[in-house]
Amino acid sequence: MKILDEKPDALLKRALRGDEQAFLALYQKHQSALYRYALRMTGSQWAAEEVVQEVFLVLIREPQKYQPERGELGAFLYGVARNRVMKHLEKTPRELSLDVMNADGSAWYEPEDPLTPMMIAEKRERIEQVRAAVLGLPAEFREAVVLCELEEMSYEEAASACGCPIGTIRSRLHRGRALLLAKLELLRDAPRRASAGAK
Amino acid sequence: MRRAGLAREQSSLRTVRKAVAMMNCEEFELRGLDLDRADADPQEAAAATKHVAVCGRCSAMLESWREVKGDLRLLRESTRLDSAPARVEMRLKQELRTRREARGPHRTAVIASWALAAAAVVASLGWMQIHRRAEKSVVAERKTVNAADMLTTNPTENENDVRLAADFDTGEFTKLPGSLSSGTGDESILQVRMQRGALERYGLPVDPERASELLDVDFLVGEDGQPQAVRLHQDTQIAAVTQ
Repeated sequence: MKILDEKPDALLKRALRGDEQAFLALYQKHQSALYRYALRMTGSQWAAEEVVQEVFLVLIREPQKYQPERGELGAFLYGVARNRVMKHLEKTPRELSLDVMNADGSAWYEPEDPLTPMMIAEKRERIEQVRAAVLGLPAEFREAVVLCELEEMSYEEAASACGCPIGTIRSRLHRGRALLLAKLELLRDAPRRASAGAK
Repeated sequence: MRRAGLAREQSSLRTVRKAVAMMNCEEFELRGLDLDRADADPQEAAAATKHVAVCGRCSAMLESWREVKGDLRLLRESTRLDSAPARVEMRLKQELRTRREARGPHRTAVIASWALAAAAVVASLGWMQIHRRAEKSVVAERKTVNAADMLTTNPTENENDVRLAADFDTGEFTKLPGSLSSGTGDESILQVRMQRGALERYGLPVDPERASELLDVDFLVGEDGQPQAVRLHQDTQIAAVTQ
């Protein structure tokens, strides 16, 4: 049996006994989603990196905090990540860092579409607008949008990750969508208005 | 049964129709945008679709939302390969190793102390066992005095035993004072009934108060016809009393 086929709880037990391979298997399984979540919530690569590191340090140093009977390991890790993200946002409530603009080029994924350079540039601009709009949402609504729309979690999964009822998630998502629509409509209309004014 | 099934079907159909008919603009704003979600409720999706077909405002909102969804999809696609940098993994591995190394000596100390404790318990149990065996062997040596042993022992060493044998029934052969052991193994046993006082003739001391008691006695008689040892029966006294 491959190590990735093992159940998370079994892997965790092995990892806590010092099995590095088991720990790395757990890390590889969860780190990417946690990093994306933290990145989309904070807008900062540095903060996202710190969040991921702290989440797994909690798992190493205080494994007793995870109780399998209360939920899956993934949900627990999301919960820890969420706490760290919220702490970060409390410290820097209005800081909308856009340093995810892949200065090193590592984070940029170019879809394999036959696009012209002009179209690619427009697409990148559009993506940055969406990213900024998501980051501009209040944290609670942003979280619902990130989990349900970007991470494509079900309402149930998102509620489990946030530790709140499904109804709360739906309500937050509704508000988040409305705000996002308004922001992006404004952005979309601005060039139209500008071109109309020029005529 | 069939009627009940039909009734249930009709009821569920009515519920669907009701849900479709009941969705208004406010409900559409709340739940209608879930229309395209994979986990959308089919009934609600149907109701939303029906509402959009007749409501221009909600239809425009759905279109706008679909555009935003497209933008969100672009963002998702552009970051789907994002992951924590390798240095995070390195730091965590280092932490894991540090903890493992720190735990190593602690674990060794725990194991060593348990091993010592276990060794102490085993040693004490062993000592107790040996002690008990030694005690048992001493008692057994005292108790298992058979005829052959009696014949080979020195009379002076067993003077106390002789006195005890004469006064208290032990069920064992007691060597008679002054008798010589032949050691050939050809001795025979002679059963007699006699008064306890008669044992004085064979050199055994007897309590004068009990001298008249009748006893069943076995004599170990040698090849020369001389008694060498005597054994008093355990039930002799009871028999004497009942008689």
